[in-house]
Amino acid sequence: MPSSQTGEPLLRVEGLVKYFPILQGILFKKQVGTIKAVDGVSFELFPRETLGLVGESGCGKSTVAKTILRLDEPTEGKAYFEGRDIFAMDKKELRSLRREIQVIFQDPYSSLNPRMTVGDIVAEPWEIHRGESPKGQQRKQVQDLLALVGLNPDHINRFPHQFSGGQRQRIGVARALALNPKVIICDEPVSALDVSVQAQVINLLESLQDELNLAYVFIAHDLSIVRHISDRVAVMYLGRIVEIGTDEEIYDKPTHPYTQALLAAVPVPNPDQAGTSRVILEGDVPSPADPPSGCTFRTRCWKVQDICAQEVPELIDRFGHGHPSRCFFADVKISETVGAPIIAEPA
Amino acid sequence: MSQVATEAKDRTKSSIEELEFDPHAPLLEVEDLHVEFRTRAGVVKANDGVTYSLGQGETLAIVGESGSGKTVSAQAVMGIIDSPPGYITKGAARFRGVDLLALPEDERRAFRGEKMAMIFQDALSALNPLFRVGWQIAEMYRQHRGTSKAEARKKAIELLDRVRIPAAKDRVDSYPHEFSGGMRQRAMIAMALALDPEVLIADEPTTALDVTVQAQIMKLLADLQAETGMGMILITHDLAVVAEVTNRAAVMYAGRIVEQGTTKEIFKTSYHPYTLGLMNSIATPEQKGTKLIPIPGSPPDLLHLPSGCPFHPRCVFAQAICSEDRPPLRDLGNGRKSACHFAEEVGAGAK
Repeated sequence: MPSSQTGEPLLRVEGLVKYFPILQGILFKKQVGTIKAVDGVSFELFPRETLGLVGESGCGKSTVAKTILRLDEPTEGKAYFEGRDIFAMDKKELRSLRREIQVIFQDPYSSLNPRMTVGDIVAEPWEIHRGESPKGQQRKQVQDLLALVGLNPDHINRFPHQFSGGQRQRIGVARALALNPKVIICDEPVSALDVSVQAQVINLLESLQDELNLAYVFIAHDLSIVRHISDRVAVMYLGRIVEIGTDEEIYDKPTHPYTQALLAAVPVPNPDQAGTSRVILEGDVPSPADPPSGCTFRTRCWKVQDICAQEVPELIDRFGHGHPSRCFFADVKISETVGAPIIAEPA
Repeated sequence: MSQVATEAKDRTKSSIEELEFDPHAPLLEVEDLHVEFRTRAGVVKANDGVTYSLGQGETLAIVGESGSGKTVSAQAVMGIIDSPPGYITKGAARFRGVDLLALPEDERRAFRGEKMAMIFQDALSALNPLFRVGWQIAEMYRQHRGTSKAEARKKAIELLDRVRIPAAKDRVDSYPHEFSGGMRQRAMIAMALALDPEVLIADEPTTALDVTVQAQIMKLLADLQAETGMGMILITHDLAVVAEVTNRAAVMYAGRIVEQGTTKEIFKTSYHPYTLGLMNSIATPEQKGTKLIPIPGSPPDLLHLPSGCPFHPRCVFAQAICSEDRPPLRDLGNGRKSACHFAEEVGAGAK
């Protein structure tokens, strides 16, 4: 795995903030509040690396991706692609940025135009980025791409409805590859697929990475799949990264209570382990329109102290765990801290 | 007027009480169920001879991918299949010995909620957005028992409390959109439990929820089941959830059950290549850095099922016989069943 973090990062995000205004009124809209979707996210992505971005719905994973591509304008923060400031780019520079960073979306049913043939769908990026592929060779190139993602090149004139979900996702991958990108943002690429097909798409993404030297930002809520594909993992909660590290650090030695609870909540596909106790978090994720002061996780945390409400914990390595954690009381051990964890015995 | 309505309801209720339930018969027994959908493109056999049973206090998993017919079999048992295009062409669904499929509609209606209840995947679309949550829960009592509005509301608060919704008294007058995903699912569970059913069918109850909330809901369902001793059918595609909460499992593929047994046994030894494939395609920490082992191909189109065993085009064990002869669900002893010509070989290989 190429997780050597030497050299220049491909993508560097610093203190990214994205607030959405809550507007009210029909004729005269007035702002009555703010959704803090992303609230200070920083990370780096190195060439040929996969960074997993996990968290529950509404934690800001997808907004991070959209803002990096300037599909949403950021409220604050910096983002650099190969040293170039993304948020200062003009239209022309943006166009070239979007050639380097491509996206694969969650739902292969709605992300492909049902009236276009597969050939037109995969070749569409060349319509926008002219000069990438000469017209005469396009058909051949599309067929090469289809073969690369494991589809029959002779199916170039078929329509999306003639393909199964897994095959459609492969079409989405072929389209993302058309412009030879360096980074692909995979936004929940397998969660809409049947279980037996998910592993096919994951294998495809992994072998393409080796072949084409791609870097992935892999957004997902399925923690076991993220572990499988990622070199490093960032855990998000309410717009902030609460813990970031290599896959072993996050999965085997998590130090943030939220990461610990999240991992404990994942059911284990082994009936013999079904009796073991688990941490069960109570309540729901607070609204990003009115997040708790200080540490946003404190309302559901079993380690909570006064300081948690007063100060926002920094994302740093406080106690020499080897990776940063946004908790004042970061610890590999779940229990043996002040206040008993909420441990439930499943029936 | 309301008095007339109440009397009518009492009549339907008493009519199901007059049915002769056999307390020694299994709680729920589905036998050779055939359900087909007659569409313009052709006839889809969504259930093609489905047989399973459920005992008191037991949790049965029905596992399968989308289109495998797992939801349809539950809908047929509940009597909520849209007809047309859906028709139950053959089979029986016996509740304590009484065949539900032979009952007239008004008795079935009284049955739903009273004896059997169902919760659905998407709680937001299962709840009516125009009515308060408490009112919708209380409707169970008003409709089935003829309870007064005030009394029914009180019961709704009790139920919300029972499914652990904090400050139930204040929440009873909320609208569904004011609830979070987990709370909506709890409200739906409350509604299903209102009349103390003996069978609860949970159709992908946690698929739309985040993992931490999923753990809460599964815990709640297990607690409620322990309290009431009801039988539960859990429909899901998530093998990890199956391992965690169920006693027995039935794996469905293309409208048929292909493997059946206790959950522990199935996870130890799979006797059907499809089950084995599903188990192998789970990403485990040990597989890090290696390829996952997917099932090749994709689930079949029910309008154009492959000949013989519908799984044969994707099967690594397939032989010539598999494309010609459809294997029946065979008893392998020990409560294990498999619909594979080479079940023994698959089991031996899985070990």
